[in-house]
Amino acid sequence: MLDAARVQKELVECNKDCHISGISVDLHRDGSSLYHLTGTISGPLDTPYEGGAFEIDIVLSESYPFQPPKMQFKTKVWHPNISSQNGAICLDILKDQWSPALTLKTALLSLQALLSAPAPNDPQDAVVAKQCLNDHTTFVATARYWTEAFAMRTTVGTEEKVKKLMEMGFPENLVRSALENVKGDENMALEKLCSG
Amino acid sequence: MFEDENEDADLYCYDFDQEFEYDEYLEGPRTVLASSTQVITKESLLAAQKADLQSVMQFLPISEHNARVLLIEYRWNVEKVLDVLVDKGKDYLFAEAGISTSKREDSASSSSSSSSLTCCVCFDDVSSNNASMMDCCHTYCNTCWTTYFIVKIKDGQSKRIKCMDPKCNTVCDETIVRNLVGATNPQIADCFERSLLESYIEDNNKVKWCPSVPHCGNAIRVDHDDIYHEVECACGLQFCFNCLLVTHSPCPCTMWKLWMKKCQDESETVNWITVNTKPCPKCHKHVEKDGGCNLVSCICGQNFCWLCGVATGRDHTWTSIVGHTCGRYEENKVRGSIRAKNELHRYIHYHNRYKLHLDSLNLETKVKVKTQEKIASLESKQSKMIDFSWALNGLNRLFKSRRILAHSYPLAFFIFGNQLCHGKITREQRDTKKILFEDYQQQLEYNVERLSKALEENFDTFEELDVMQTRLDIINLSVHVDNLCFKMYDYVENDLLDSLFPTGDRIAPYISKGIERALELPAGISKQSVDLESSTDDKTGRHASLKHDLPRRIEDGECSSKKRKEEASTGDGFLDLNVPPPPSPHSLYKG
Repeated sequence: MLDAARVQKELVECNKDCHISGISVDLHRDGSSLYHLTGTISGPLDTPYEGGAFEIDIVLSESYPFQPPKMQFKTKVWHPNISSQNGAICLDILKDQWSPALTLKTALLSLQALLSAPAPNDPQDAVVAKQCLNDHTTFVATARYWTEAFAMRTTVGTEEKVKKLMEMGFPENLVRSALENVKGDENMALEKLCSG
Repeated sequence: MFEDENEDADLYCYDFDQEFEYDEYLEGPRTVLASSTQVITKESLLAAQKADLQSVMQFLPISEHNARVLLIEYRWNVEKVLDVLVDKGKDYLFAEAGISTSKREDSASSSSSSSSLTCCVCFDDVSSNNASMMDCCHTYCNTCWTTYFIVKIKDGQSKRIKCMDPKCNTVCDETIVRNLVGATNPQIADCFERSLLESYIEDNNKVKWCPSVPHCGNAIRVDHDDIYHEVECACGLQFCFNCLLVTHSPCPCTMWKLWMKKCQDESETVNWITVNTKPCPKCHKHVEKDGGCNLVSCICGQNFCWLCGVATGRDHTWTSIVGHTCGRYEENKVRGSIRAKNELHRYIHYHNRYKLHLDSLNLETKVKVKTQEKIASLESKQSKMIDFSWALNGLNRLFKSRRILAHSYPLAFFIFGNQLCHGKITREQRDTKKILFEDYQQQLEYNVERLSKALEENFDTFEELDVMQTRLDIINLSVHVDNLCFKMYDYVENDLLDSLFPTGDRIAPYISKGIERALELPAGISKQSVDLESSTDDKTGRHASLKHDLPRRIEDGECSSKKRKEEASTGDGFLDLNVPPPPSPHSLYKG
């Protein structure tokens, strides 16, 4: 049985100083189960991920914390240890090096550390790892582009998109809800609006 | 069989020399060989494990728990532990294995002063009575420990449950695990206990489970580093210690596995194919005739004559094919299908020979019963001869060499074929080796058949002198066959495997007397004797003389039955395949 008391304590503890650590954990937006959570980490400074907010899907098993939580990036990210396809993470503490004394917060902190210190020699995504090793400049540029494209959803950006779509003749409330549904992707929102 | 008197005399001398050698053999290496493999039963597993634990605890002042952790890490190799200790020091040894040496007492006293603490796993405050501390001084509440242990045990990680602290490498104290898990979940505690015990078998290069089905519950331990060895379990199963399949020397393990697979894949198919199909002369696919006349059309469009398998045209009647006759026998007619057929033929050749010897072996097991009857009737005649172990010894020699002969065919199939040995040596070299090997094989085959014939004779109806003659024949042939087997093994090991696969498999050494049955380890070995034995064990090589002396004294004192058992087994003729009868009846015969 999942130790609900511990998870609740963890959530409170973690969100207490989220403005400093840049790490927060919330219930997954679909439901209200303690088994399914969403974590957010801010991209570390002085890396191509700076300024991005990365969402991580967290699934807890019955025997958490005695077995590691399952974590996966929901935000697309260009990193040798994170799959560019599905966001799967290659990190030892999420597998055999997990310890019950670790928490969601420490795990997310490790993910943040992973973002600032890629380990291309132990890759999850071979293509990214190869690029990281052979053509580091392109790697940094791609990572930066992906961060800007997928991890930065500032309100300014949203307002611009809303404005643009409204200029095409769609009503504001529809535009906003469409953008909300597709997590801010302008093209997908347009598609959605066109299909009705 | 030997009508010539001179030849007889010669052979007799030969026999006598051999006997001398065997006597020597009996005295010397036998005692060493007898102890080279042991059966570990459920009962003696604990004793065997304890002995090794004790030997580690003798040179390191550590608890049994930590000794076990060390030995699991080093695969129960006491010498390796000692080597690492000498080379790299105690701290390195402990750190690698996950043994914590921090002072437990200091922190224990400090924590006992504070009556409650916060468990870092469940974040609850618990009293220190409800918390446990490992050797590494990390403390968590008992509920968390228990849940953690259960998860780990269920995961199959019983042998190395690490402390819950993220960076801590220390292996949890088995006593705490046992107590905490046992209190709530006795079944899982049993599971933990069992996997610690069985680690001695599973994480040990020198011990393997007996592969018998249904499983006899035993494991076999060998006392040397040579893994290419054939052993016999107490349940009677003989198997190869390396691959755990039935004994297969002189065929190496890899080839034997390939052969078994090939036999399984092909035996049924090959039989059916050869009986029911013919290869198409164009595409070499096997074609089955499902009715109609003798003109067959292959799926590739080629027509051919079912009677001779030669490509023909399409025009035909029920009785003849236009422009084709095959009623006449034509010599040297080269057929297109020959190349495709060759490989199959090669396999069939070797497989038939292999099968033939196995079949003979099966038939000859019946001879055993008959031979026993013959011996009984001879014994009832009250002749001068009182010892008939020569007949049983000859029989066992026959079984053994028959098996060797059978297994030499898969070896030949692979070693002279293209599948494994293509391009390793030139064709000429291969042909030379092949001819030499086949010479050995033929000689052995010839003499094995002669031995078989001699044993099948109804010597119980013979006159006394003829019985003597048969006895001599059988003994001589046994010795001869034994020598031939030895030579063949030698040739395979040194001239075939060494030159073709310098780094590959080796074969089990040829043991003239047959595979030694593993001795049973005494289960209820007393602590004192364990100490004695271990003190000699762990210094193997350094106190070789000690090792020879001490355990034997223990045997004499404690389990003298073991020695007696050994003597008894010498007499029943199963272990000593080729040992001529003891001197007394022999001299009787001579006189």
